[in-house]
Amino acid sequence: MLDRMRGLPWWKIAGLALVLLLPLAVSNRYYLHVLNLVGIYSLVVIGLNLLSGYTGQVSMGQAGFFGVGAYVSALLMMRLNVPFVVAVSAATLVSALCGVVIGIPAMRLSGPYLVMATVGFGEIMRLIMVNWVPVTMGAAGLTGIPLPSFLGMQISSERGFYYLICAVLYLATLEALRLSNSKVGRTFLAIREDDLAAGAMGVPTDRYKVAAFAISAAYAGIAGALYGSFAGVASPDNFTFDVSVLLLCMSVVGGNRTIYGALVGALALTVFSEALRFLQGYRLIVYGAILLATVIFMPQGLSGLAPAVAQVFRRMHFPGHKGQNGVAGDKGETCR
Amino acid sequence: MTLLRKISVFALVGILSLSMSGLYGCGGASQTKVLKIGVVGPETGGSAQLGQGQHQGVQLACDEINAANAAGGWKLEPYFEDDAGDPTQSASATNKLIQQSNVNVLIASINSSCTLADMVVTERAGIPQITAGSTGASITEQGDKWIFRTAVNDELQANALVDYAVKTLGIKKASTLTAADSYGQSGATLLKAAAEKAGLNLVVTATYNGGDKDFKPQLLSMKEKGTEAIFLWGIYTEAALIANQARTLGINGQLFGASGMAAAKLIELGQGAVEGMLLTQSFLPDSPDAKVKDFVVAYKQKYNQDPIPHAAQAYDSVYILADAVKRANSNAPQALRDAIMNTSGLQLVTGSPKFDEKGNDVGKSVLITKIEKGKFVLVTKVISGQ
Amino acid sequence: MQYLLNGLPIGATYALIALGYSLIYASAGVLNWAQGDMAMLGAYLAYTLNRIVGLGFLPSMLAAMACAALVGTLVERGVLRPLRRRASPSINLIIATLGVAIIARNLALIVWGPDPQLFPSPVGSRIVSVGSLNLLPQDLLIVGVAIFLMLLLQYFLRFTREGKALRAVAQDRMAASLMGIVVERSDSVAFATSAALGAAAGILIAPLFFVTFNMGAVIGIKGFVAAVVGGLGNIPGAIAGGFVLGLTEAVAGGKISSGYRDAISFGVLILVLWLRPSGLFSRVNRAKV
Repeated sequence: MLDRMRGLPWWKIAGLALVLLLPLAVSNRYYLHVLNLVGIYSLVVIGLNLLSGYTGQVSMGQAGFFGVGAYVSALLMMRLNVPFVVAVSAATLVSALCGVVIGIPAMRLSGPYLVMATVGFGEIMRLIMVNWVPVTMGAAGLTGIPLPSFLGMQISSERGFYYLICAVLYLATLEALRLSNSKVGRTFLAIREDDLAAGAMGVPTDRYKVAAFAISAAYAGIAGALYGSFAGVASPDNFTFDVSVLLLCMSVVGGNRTIYGALVGALALTVFSEALRFLQGYRLIVYGAILLATVIFMPQGLSGLAPAVAQVFRRMHFPGHKGQNGVAGDKGETCR
Repeated sequence: MTLLRKISVFALVGILSLSMSGLYGCGGASQTKVLKIGVVGPETGGSAQLGQGQHQGVQLACDEINAANAAGGWKLEPYFEDDAGDPTQSASATNKLIQQSNVNVLIASINSSCTLADMVVTERAGIPQITAGSTGASITEQGDKWIFRTAVNDELQANALVDYAVKTLGIKKASTLTAADSYGQSGATLLKAAAEKAGLNLVVTATYNGGDKDFKPQLLSMKEKGTEAIFLWGIYTEAALIANQARTLGINGQLFGASGMAAAKLIELGQGAVEGMLLTQSFLPDSPDAKVKDFVVAYKQKYNQDPIPHAAQAYDSVYILADAVKRANSNAPQALRDAIMNTSGLQLVTGSPKFDEKGNDVGKSVLITKIEKGKFVLVTKVISGQ
Repeated sequence: MQYLLNGLPIGATYALIALGYSLIYASAGVLNWAQGDMAMLGAYLAYTLNRIVGLGFLPSMLAAMACAALVGTLVERGVLRPLRRRASPSINLIIATLGVAIIARNLALIVWGPDPQLFPSPVGSRIVSVGSLNLLPQDLLIVGVAIFLMLLLQYFLRFTREGKALRAVAQDRMAASLMGIVVERSDSVAFATSAALGAAAGILIAPLFFVTFNMGAVIGIKGFVAAVVGGLGNIPGAIAGGFVLGLTEAVAGGKISSGYRDAISFGVLILVLWLRPSGLFSRVNRAKV
């Protein structure tokens, strides 16, 4: 098992330095803006991976939780002058609660039925945002969402957001990894592989499924809260069914069975989407083709390529070793 | 793989892909007199007709102005980006135009939610922004001093329609059927206020979602409550469907609509059902006005289709910019912004623009038109402030 | 009463789309995201043939349905089979058909433009009044043709070899292949038939609702809801589900709230799924869900 090495190898230090110093090297605010978006989406997709990849519950309604997070946080800050950190925490909690609410009817469903229920939930959320005008300001949405401010400082630049999002993402990823390797994570896997057998073994599958929904909703909620302050505005148009679909694509393209697949997927799809702008009308056609190609040729997603890449890497460095097949100790990998 | 290794892989991939995708020449300060205009709109997605109309209007105006050198020696360069009606993409597109293409001014966007998202970016960057398509009231109520709106005034239209209904047609009971988006909700609020002021009883206020095809449930409940007129607020696709279905159900009351749906396509799709419908618009393709005629002819020649109101408004916005840059003789943001603010004396397709301190164009004229024998006919003209 | 009458043609349309979903789900076990876009494709093809090339309505409709069937087969061969061979998880199959839907929609946008197109009804648009109830001839045509197609489908499934093979595959894929049925061929037939049905639905409603490049999106979702309500994979259930949804929408939209109309539909759906997860009309079979 490849694991904690004594002393930090060069590439760990390099990686950390890269991430921390990136905003200083890249002065183009547009690039930072895109990276920030990637970070926020990654948060949602981590939750989605836990729900869909680990527990096997496909959800096409994550945009609903994302929206709940954004609206609750924004409204608390704007109407009740709640400080940023409290607002975000509250938003995460409310979102998690919504996860429980949808998780309960959903726990009996699977396959397309589950998909439909989650689609329905997402749409209901969006319709509430549009129609509950006195609170949500209707279709025009909320404007002037306050910037994050805590410990006496306020974050207003792309660079500032970058660090904030990195920090949150780092903590969230650690937590997700911890979760996936714990008893909870293994239970999730058991549910995905064989729901019935798990139940027969005494696992309270219903409770865990609801928990999975709640956790994924919490991740989406905190991402939504961050998004609200990042974009400064939030409207139902930000949380449409198309966004849920996009999130699911990020999950699948990146590889939904691993945690870092979320990051890879969010990065890949956001970058593709922006990079292909010059194609204009053909952009979405290429996008669809990429989706098709990924799913057909890389069913484990991009992060599924990681073992192969690591293999090449290892061979380069240890040419004598024919040894290990695949990457051992991969925290996110599952037994196929 | 440990977390840090993953992050480094991710970061590497990220930088590589971004650097590959960002191979646009970074614009240095150019010595020649070039005004770079960024244009953001929904060129794909549900509102694609509007975004493409805006695109075409801007392109036509730029071509004309450059050919005639009508901007005091300044060349206009448009840069187009698609936001697909999604505020997140819109903000990214705006960011890109400002950072990569170094635009001096923006025409963005059409959906109010997108415009509001873009405004956050332009305000932080200090770049003037004109919206030629968004009519949401909140846009000019943000205290943002960089935003201008040349889209036609909704409040004026709502008031004009309701007044006409009550005073000229003697209507007592009416209903509203509005889209459940920012345009429609804005209209619904304004119509309600206008109705209260004029003493008009709204028996049903219903809404529909964009893309809806079936309006019979709402229409039926209006029929049951004895509505004499229906005020519509949305775009022409749904309006034509509503008109068709209303007639099918036997509702023969007066139909009213606003500029968002006033295009030749409404007549083409609605046919007999929209005959007699009253609409407010800022722009009448069949107007005898010379400026309008020239515009329509040029547009038809270049694009082989009739211009929609958004195209006309975008076209005019470019002319406003040309005039502004000529007067300011600079493409610096603050100078441009002030020059736009001081616009006066221009006669354009949709009126004579004049901006108030919030950035609203109060010089637009509003025409009440009627569909007669398959064409828009002018009934009366309502000028701002009267 | 008029409310219910309004719901009929809508319900018939949903039913046709729902049939497509159920057929494919039953035999191939896949959720075809692009089902709604088959309707769009059919409508555009028929529009082009009828309005631009000048063919009559019926030949245009048949030709468009045939083309759609071809497209359906291509999708099955090009997308589904490779995925099947690699034993992809079902979520990947959904994404794959989603990719097809995105491509189809944007291709249509490029080819035909963003403007809605008018498709005049072949039976005229003079309002038919029966007492206080009003109808369009097209409404009758929709319901009529839909019922005809459903009967045709039943005949196909019951009395033709391909149809029987489909039903066998739907019941037990492994056993069917052991009996010598070429399972992949059945899949192709299922896709082709679903595409043709979807195309028919699109062509039938085009005179009422215009032809637009994103007409497939909303219809696709609603049709799917209808299929689920009736029990996914259950053919008569799909028909029933379609009408139930159409009628519910018609009444709820008028009597309760127009803004929340869709929310009500989804709410009902979630309720149905919670209380009776295999659909209203399926035999309760918990193990499968």
